[in-house]
Amino acid sequence: MFPISFSTVRKSIRLTALLALTLFFVGCGQFDGPMEWFSGGHQSTFEVRGPVAQQQLDLFYVTLWVTLFIFVTVGGVLAYTTFRFRQKPGDSEKPPPAQTHGHPLVEIGLIVAAVFLLVIIAVPTVRAIYDIYELPEDEDMLVIDVIAYQWWWAFEYPDEEVVTANEIAIPVGRKVKFNLRTVDVIHSFWIPRLGGKIDMIPNRDNWMWLQADVPGQYWGQCAEFCGESHANMKFRVFAMEEDDFQDWLDHQRSDAVEPDPEDSLVVTGSELFRSRGCIGCHAVQGTGAMGIAGPDLTHFGSRKTLGAGMADNTPENLFHWLRDPDGFKPGNLMALDPQVRNLSDDDIEALSAYLQSLK
Amino acid sequence: MENQGIQGNVIAGAPEANTSGRSRLFSRPTATTGVVGWLTTVDHKKIGIMYGLAALFFLIVGGIEALIIRLQLAVPNNDLISAQFYNELFTMHGTTMIFLAVMPLGAAFFNYMIPLQIGARDVAFPRLNAFSLWTFLAGGIFINTGWFLNMLPAIGDAVPKIGWFGYANLTSSNYSGIGTDFWVFGLQILGIASIVAALNFIVTIINMRAPGMTMMRLPVFTWMVLVTSFLIILAFPAITIALACLMMDRMFGTGFFEPVFGGQPILWQHLFWIFGHPEVYILILPAMGIISEVLPTFSRKPLFGYAIIVFSGVIIGVLGFAVWAHHMFTTGLSTIAKTAFALATMAIAVPTGVKIFNWIGTMWGGQLRFTTPMLFALGFIWMFMIGGFSGIMHAAAPADGQQHDTYFVVAHFHYVLIGGSLFALFTGLYYWIPKISGKMFTETLGKWVFWIMFAGFNVTFFPHHFLGLGGMPRRTYQYDADMGLNTWNFVSTVGSLVLGIGILLFLYHLFITLKRGAKAGNDPWDARTLEWSLPSPPPEYNFAAVPKVTSRDEFWARKMIPEKKKLIAEEKAESSIHMPSPSWFPLIASIGLLIGAYGMAFLKSDYGNFLGFGTLFWPITGLLITIGAIFAWAFEGPGGYHLHPEEDAQEKESSGKAK
Repeated sequence: MFPISFSTVRKSIRLTALLALTLFFVGCGQFDGPMEWFSGGHQSTFEVRGPVAQQQLDLFYVTLWVTLFIFVTVGGVLAYTTFRFRQKPGDSEKPPPAQTHGHPLVEIGLIVAAVFLLVIIAVPTVRAIYDIYELPEDEDMLVIDVIAYQWWWAFEYPDEEVVTANEIAIPVGRKVKFNLRTVDVIHSFWIPRLGGKIDMIPNRDNWMWLQADVPGQYWGQCAEFCGESHANMKFRVFAMEEDDFQDWLDHQRSDAVEPDPEDSLVVTGSELFRSRGCIGCHAVQGTGAMGIAGPDLTHFGSRKTLGAGMADNTPENLFHWLRDPDGFKPGNLMALDPQVRNLSDDDIEALSAYLQSLK
Repeated sequence: MENQGIQGNVIAGAPEANTSGRSRLFSRPTATTGVVGWLTTVDHKKIGIMYGLAALFFLIVGGIEALIIRLQLAVPNNDLISAQFYNELFTMHGTTMIFLAVMPLGAAFFNYMIPLQIGARDVAFPRLNAFSLWTFLAGGIFINTGWFLNMLPAIGDAVPKIGWFGYANLTSSNYSGIGTDFWVFGLQILGIASIVAALNFIVTIINMRAPGMTMMRLPVFTWMVLVTSFLIILAFPAITIALACLMMDRMFGTGFFEPVFGGQPILWQHLFWIFGHPEVYILILPAMGIISEVLPTFSRKPLFGYAIIVFSGVIIGVLGFAVWAHHMFTTGLSTIAKTAFALATMAIAVPTGVKIFNWIGTMWGGQLRFTTPMLFALGFIWMFMIGGFSGIMHAAAPADGQQHDTYFVVAHFHYVLIGGSLFALFTGLYYWIPKISGKMFTETLGKWVFWIMFAGFNVTFFPHHFLGLGGMPRRTYQYDADMGLNTWNFVSTVGSLVLGIGILLFLYHLFITLKRGAKAGNDPWDARTLEWSLPSPPPEYNFAAVPKVTSRDEFWARKMIPEKKKLIAEEKAESSIHMPSPSWFPLIASIGLLIGAYGMAFLKSDYGNFLGFGTLFWPITGLLITIGAIFAWAFEGPGGYHLHPEEDAQEKESSGKAK
């Protein structure tokens, strides 16, 4: 009476099992490969480089495998049912099928199975919650205060007396505690390849810890909608060996480079920086510029990016940024300043030269 | 369409003599056709149709917003639209789709089908029902006003751009303009509409059931509407309070959410999600109800495990109030709270899984007919499963730390809201359109609509999983070209256009079906519940004889069991049925709310005083109109008129012969 013979069923079961096994081994062996192809990139949550992101990825795989198993099983039964019980010609004349109302054993059995599968996910979930969201005890831990502004980041190393903006360095192999604060609205601090995000909420003392195991450049971005230029609120993290990190700190602690008196463009730029009100918002250590509304620019010339991780720090991009701040980064405060709007192209060239010289 | 089902009754619809001696002002209108007939109607079926048409309109509006978003994201660093416009679009897209499209499309079926399914002649409070409709429309118009106001040269911030979730303190008057006020009062108005409707349906379902229609014989759709209605009356007060606090912050400087006054922005998130998470089930439970109606019909079998499906619906509703903080896993909750909310969220997967198992059990051993509604129902199960699985992934709080606020979440909730809710509502549309319009659609075009929507939907939203795990945050109007996000964004945009074509094709299909569909007959699907025992479309009084219910799937039993047929023969049509008169006052009360809301939005705006705006004149005027209308409503008298089903039947017969 079966629409398909038993041997066909057996064959198809064998085929499915073979396929599933193949997929499984392909998956286990080279899963990084395909997933990087699907979801690779600077902010990929698969190309992880630290223990927090690694544990989160491992947990993700647990949920992926369990749900994939359920999908294949339940979906398989659903597909079979759809095919097997489709109405065949002449069925509509036949009496309706048995009007069964349910089967308590089947129903309870499926509930128990569902609970069992969820426990497989629940156990590593709870373990990861306590591993990731409790502060590990570690005397070596580096502390960085992150202060979010619409739409850029101030970074302070309280124990090292270093203040910088939009780019930070961290030592590899050392745990870093980030104290997460905001001066205006809610933001969220996220470095995908090192770990998940935590929000920065006014009147709330949030923190997170992360660790980078591999030196390199890591992309970060605000992950909570924070107004017009939310999309343009990015930052970079440079993970480096301990020695390099200490050098970096020394460099950051030092005052800004004095303008080279030989280079008239840079000198003009440094004067414009004072006279056109830039110092009202920006600080440049050692020059008397102590503004706090905008990013610290003491070592701007040594940064890889400008506009809070928006673009590479090149003279062309810097020119564009100062020529048309609102077009570059909609809604930012600098665009509101008439002194910025009134800068001539020559002024901008000079300012740009000065800023680039702040290595 | 508006004449169907009413023709022949108009003659009988003459008003009763106004015996109470009240003044002309309070005599109730009598028209049951024409524009006045629709504006004053208290007939749940007409109200349901208007809910449905308005919801489809807003579905198009929200869909256009979505398509502009997708076009902007088609290529990296696109300059098609500005950041600000993008932020307005995603705010209004979310708000529109949730409050103005999916909820009211569900409400259309609540209105039209619940009385028919429980053997009632109308809802418990017909005028209140009309008030819900008009208040919903008022909220929809009000919250979209900004698009037009922004065209005025003086105003540029009248569209909310704070996200549909409106997180404090971006909503503070320091960071956002009058658009936020439109959002606040718009949601308040929509909340009134929802709560009033929910109360009405609770009373209707509890009190208006036909004799013998016990709770455990209720069609599952009705059951889910009952659960949903309880969710609405329990969940909406949370957002009402949150919005009231926000209003006072913005207008009167209270500082509930203002950090400088010691306010707590995090408080908004708790209040919002105590509403917001049950809201998700408000959107999905009726959808599950529809699926639970359609699968048995097209399997020719009763629902497998009726009791456990109903019970799991109730459990989902209850647990829905215990999981709100899983929207807040990244806000720095304590480890205990994270653990509790993670486990509670996983627990919801059990009753949800139970439903899926039982739907498969329903089909097992049946004779499946792959009609258009059945295809949509099967599509629902597949996609809701996928959405459910990504939901379980979010429940694993540490993994969610990566997924939160990325496109992975966007993929998840579009799978449950489009693949889930919207596909179920389309299931319902195709299933019940023959009943509502009396016209049958063409299967071929219906299947095209399904497959185009199904393909378009998956091509649009499956890549969002990859985008999210590839690190693309939500609510960003641009992304850089070197982030590895280009391919999937482009694919998604192509898919969204296909989905748009599918929905356009549906609208065309609906249009030609209403215009020249074949006659549907009472029971085109060989269905099981009472609404199919009625003519299509049903007469104004629904049931000529109130059915005496003796089993679940009553209509099926009547068709299948010989003894039942005898019982039906004994049910005699009543010679005269008392119908409630139409009324102007629900509409007027809603208009008062609309006027008051405009007054409030401009109360503290930067635009000064004009035409009485910027003062308390319009808020008070609006309030007085609403209060006045409610008084008039109370005093307009019972009204009512009688209809005569038997005469109708004879008349129809004779007119049929004449043709």
